Amino acid sequence: MALSLHSLTHKLWRTISAVKTGVVLILLAVVFSVAGTVILQRPMTDADEMQRAYSPQMLRFLDAVGLTDVFHTPWFIALLLLVSLSIVAASVDRFPNSWRFFARPYKSPDENFLKVLPVHAQIPVADEEAGLVAAERAFHKLRWKSERIVRRNGFSLFVERHRISELAVYVVHASLLLIFLGGIVDALYGWRGFLTLNQGQQSNVVALRNGATRNLPFAVRCDAAGEDTYTDGSPKRWWSKLAVVQDGRDVQRKEIEVNDPLVYRGLRFYQASYGSTGKLDHLLLAATPSTGTTGPREISLALSQTLALDSDTSVQLAEFIPDYVVGDGHVYTRSNDVVNPAVHLIVTSQNVRAQNSKVRNSKTKTSRTVNVWIPEIPGFAENGQSPYNFEVRDLKIGNFTGLQVSHEPGQWAVWAGVILMGIGLTFVFYVVHVRVWVLPVRDGRGRVTLWIGGSANRNRDAFEQKFQKLIEKIKEQLPAESHKSRQPETTFAGK
Amino acid sequence: MARAKAEPQPANGATLIAMVGLSIAFLLFMAFLNVVKTGPVLNEANLLYAALIFYAGAGALYLGFGVTGTESYVRFASLATWAGLLANTAAVAHRWYQAGHPPFASVYEMLLSFVWTLAALTLIAEKRYGVKVIGTVTMPIAIVGVVLMQLLRTDVKPLVPALQSTWLHVHVTLAMLAYAACALSFALAMMFLIQDGMKTETFLAATSLFTVGIYAGILTRFEKWGGLSVIAWNAQEKSEMFLSRGVRLFVTIPDLGWLMLIVLGAVAAPFVLYLAARVRNNEAFLTTANRALFVSILLQSLALVFFLLRAENASYPSLDADGLYPTNLAASPFILSGLVGGILASLLYLLLLWRRADLEKLLPDAVTLDRITYKTIGIAFPLLTLMIAAGAYWANRTWGSYWNWDPKETWAAITWLVYAGYLHMRITRGWRGRRAAYFAILGFAVVMFTFFGVTYLLPGLHSYA
Repeated sequence: MALSLHSLTHKLWRTISAVKTGVVLILLAVVFSVAGTVILQRPMTDADEMQRAYSPQMLRFLDAVGLTDVFHTPWFIALLLLVSLSIVAASVDRFPNSWRFFARPYKSPDENFLKVLPVHAQIPVADEEAGLVAAERAFHKLRWKSERIVRRNGFSLFVERHRISELAVYVVHASLLLIFLGGIVDALYGWRGFLTLNQGQQSNVVALRNGATRNLPFAVRCDAAGEDTYTDGSPKRWWSKLAVVQDGRDVQRKEIEVNDPLVYRGLRFYQASYGSTGKLDHLLLAATPSTGTTGPREISLALSQTLALDSDTSVQLAEFIPDYVVGDGHVYTRSNDVVNPAVHLIVTSQNVRAQNSKVRNSKTKTSRTVNVWIPEIPGFAENGQSPYNFEVRDLKIGNFTGLQVSHEPGQWAVWAGVILMGIGLTFVFYVVHVRVWVLPVRDGRGRVTLWIGGSANRNRDAFEQKFQKLIEKIKEQLPAESHKSRQPETTFAGK
Repeated sequence: MARAKAEPQPANGATLIAMVGLSIAFLLFMAFLNVVKTGPVLNEANLLYAALIFYAGAGALYLGFGVTGTESYVRFASLATWAGLLANTAAVAHRWYQAGHPPFASVYEMLLSFVWTLAALTLIAEKRYGVKVIGTVTMPIAIVGVVLMQLLRTDVKPLVPALQSTWLHVHVTLAMLAYAACALSFALAMMFLIQDGMKTETFLAATSLFTVGIYAGILTRFEKWGGLSVIAWNAQEKSEMFLSRGVRLFVTIPDLGWLMLIVLGAVAAPFVLYLAARVRNNEAFLTTANRALFVSILLQSLALVFFLLRAENASYPSLDADGLYPTNLAASPFILSGLVGGILASLLYLLLLWRRADLEKLLPDAVTLDRITYKTIGIAFPLLTLMIAAGAYWANRTWGSYWNWDPKETWAAITWLVYAGYLHMRITRGWRGRRAAYFAILGFAVVMFTFFGVTYLLPGLHSYA
């Protein structure tokens, strides 16, 4: 029983760690991802558009099996987890072998190895030591570090470069897992929401996608927001001046724009949208005394703000109506769009009458208010009685800024994984583990020859060319007299 | 046997070279006369026109090689490619200078970069690896690219805020490099299959299936009563018309759908005949299949001509809105490139059918081709990885999330996975030869869908491109 259980787990392990399993799982992930791009997905599509695209039964079915939100269904996440598991298992299964290869390099080749190694050559030499020294010099010129290996009856040489390349594939796998880890952390603990702020407003309540809200431990205030345009009128830049307010004071300020968010305590605030609130920010007016004694004076008024025009007169912006219409004895607005604006000002004058009393030299103040409407609305406006004439110079409508708020605690794992993967892939594809063995042997006729063999774990044709060059270099380094007198015949072998 | 159908003609190299040379000179001269009257000679349109002429000359020479088997054509074709690349480089530089940003912001600019990379890689493959006839596959792709560019809007548009980022340039540059490397690996895999002795009729079946895919794709826009929907074109704005944000307005060209349906039948016929030959074990069917392919080329050309005539500057009713709306070839670059691509693929098959022995003589041996294919993918895969990473980083800075499962992203991931599968099968399971070649071809098919298909068939955030 115990044995069969053991064989079962063994089988299971064999299955999950097989490359074939991994590829099948990847193919499954591909198939479902394709489904997720062909079928409309709930998070990105309006509900009524979904209803238009599919029949009710079809939609019910798609919803039931999760095909309308493939990338967030439990079974797709389970599939991704299985892929991760397969990567881990495959790596764990193969790693000990690679590690042995890495940790205990094969330095001293035996008879069998000499026979089976495809890339090798033999150079006749005068004696063993001269040959080895020549090879050592050649390696030195190439800046390859050679190592003398003690054998039973003499020495051999061993050269190795970029052994780390054997482990690069595990770096790539680890980086992929790191990216997955980041994704999982964000899926569990991350959130995204939206925050709309009018100019001057501050808030700490973020609206989440599912309709809920989230309170931040600090508030964000929008000091200004705007749009810059190209000369042809198309938008060039949207920006907002934001301030982070904590415990009643500003702790951080930044002008954000698209592609450049504000980051505070792991929360990112992105410029997502921008527009007009339809509400007045301030009004620029020219005020001219009706007596005509002085010229016009420019004043700026916000809603319900009061401003003194002279020592006796003040003006207040009582109402701003973006799209006015008159009816039933009222002035009201049809819409929030600034298409037909009306402004209601209240001008208050203090009429000072000095009383001719010797007993009491006192002044009695009576104040008089006049309703001024721009434009002049009959029945409401008393513009003629106003001590000042007003003229609207400019309307500044308030802007709002739409901020995308996101919290992605796992993104650092993702970026670390990406960098690690870049490094890993560079090693996998472009760094070659090269080994060269140099061994003095006697050939069939009993002459001393230098046996040189090499191996590379990838890009073998390029290595073969390099190997030929190495042989040439070694021959150059051989003592001249032996080189000339013997007419060495070099034998190459290789594919 | 089908292969012996055409008699090899006596090789008369000088005639075609002279003809192509003369027509290049003539076209350039005419173009020159034309522009001297209108303004500066070295503007982008002219440079691109010159590139087109040279690429077309190279294509013609490769094809001429196909018909006559004269090896010197290939050398001159390579020269023409050099000239085309030079003009193309100048066009890219001009664009870059004029726009003030690298040319990666619209479909037009990306095609410009893509064609440039493809031509450069073709020359590299030719010189470095000795794959002399690779241009036979890549030059037609380049020609389709340049022709498409003539249709797309070329005005330098200021970048919308989301696109103003260095990461965009990094992302798109990497994408273009990766895609061009994938295209090259595809061409190499095809050549491997030729050199590996894959039967000519298998290529016939594949060509037939490819064209069936194209027409099936086009027919997804088939409307009631035989119409074919194309996107309406706003001539003033030089852009597609939109019903609402992200929803394009389609107009229906009557009867064109029927024609496409007939051509679908015609391009499917060779495949059906191939199946019949396999089932009945009767070689006679294959001869008929080759004839059917020939007929399908004629019908495909007919479909192209009709499409050109009916879609260019005409107005048609729409199913979604009242009234007539104009359309233009520029509104349907993908239908057009599909039609042209189908014809070119069929012509390439004819080249193989008639000139197989000569092709085999010119190509490196199968083992080398297999190895170069793998090497090309070894370049493409890290580029794809970095492209996705740069895109994710940019998305994180713009939309506040590095991964949105938007169709383009998902398809980029699928491409990545397919090539990852290829590498695993090759490295750990020792897949070589045919199976690896099929995988490389599949990979490129996915790349093409990611590049073209996703933009026009699926909705998503990548709607700028």
